[in-house]
Amino acid sequence: MFQFAEWLSQTSLSLTIQTHEWIIPTIQSIHIVAIGVVLASVFMIDLRILGWAGRDQSLLQTTDRFGPWLSAALCVQLVTGILMVIGEPARELLAFSFWLKMCLVTIGTVVAGVFQIMLRRNEHDWEKSRARRRSIKSLAIVTFLMWLGVVILGRLIAYDHVWGKWSLSPKA
Amino acid sequence: MNIADVLASLESSHLADRIRNSLFLFPLIESFHVIGLTMVFGTTVIIDLRLLGIASTRRPFRRVASDVLKWIWAAFGLTGMTGLLMFITNAGVYYHNFYFRSKMALLALAGINMVIFELTAGRSVHQWDKDVRAPVSARTAAALSLLLWITIIFLGRWIGFTTTRAASKTDSDINIEELFPKSP
Repeated sequence: MFQFAEWLSQTSLSLTIQTHEWIIPTIQSIHIVAIGVVLASVFMIDLRILGWAGRDQSLLQTTDRFGPWLSAALCVQLVTGILMVIGEPARELLAFSFWLKMCLVTIGTVVAGVFQIMLRRNEHDWEKSRARRRSIKSLAIVTFLMWLGVVILGRLIAYDHVWGKWSLSPKA
Repeated sequence: MNIADVLASLESSHLADRIRNSLFLFPLIESFHVIGLTMVFGTTVIIDLRLLGIASTRRPFRRVASDVLKWIWAAFGLTGMTGLLMFITNAGVYYHNFYFRSKMALLALAGINMVIFELTAGRSVHQWDKDVRAPVSARTAAALSLLLWITIIFLGRWIGFTTTRAASKTDSDINIEELFPKSP
């Protein structure tokens, strides 16, 4: 990973990002704007599952409203995220927070995708039994907490020393 | 007591000291600040897009708004509290920082924008509640709100890059040159 980060930091795109001071804060700001859309979209779908909002809408109507925004914002996250890794390879790739965040993002995205597919296949399956409703509600709470974890870990990349010896960064 | 004294006493408070001297308190407070502000922004966008006639248009405005309003205020409370905690750790520097001042000014404008909306289009909401697009004044408020909040996010990020905190590491102190010294 050290070698890869070093190689990446010498690529021309990385050097461009490094030499223009305004690029990193701009990409970070766009990344934060997009995570706002991700978080709020997941939040609204989860509130609907819990029955705390949008009760005049079916769950499918709710995911039709927020799903496309969630996917689009996740794409923005991916692009700006890749640019940040290219711009500051050591800061990202050697951070424990970064890799833990990537795990949570992957799980969160797969869960959201699978849930969406299952919902399209059978809209009312999830509310058929009390046990099923309960497990979907727990899933909603767990995934939302996971996305909050993604935000926290994203910020902690800047402070990877909090992880002590788990951080690969020589600065930690 | 002038403002310099207030800033100095905030900075020398026991709480500010605790945060400054802790390895993880500032990062954690900042993380929750980001959670708060992204929730404020993301949920505000839902209302703004409804007013502009872009999303949730099949639902009455008041339904959409009542789903998210209480969460916006809760998230705003979290953001304000955590923001204040970060502020006191380096009050003098933040207070004089251009981006911090601009951000506070735009926050005030966002508040004024909201009050004007409530006093104008908000008063006649029963007339346009179900319309796909809200009246011009409401759409203007929504567009302004989007613009202001996005700018506030950008300014916030710039504060981090233009202030150095006394006892905690900053974003910009990881130097690529230091990490990968060029072979002689």
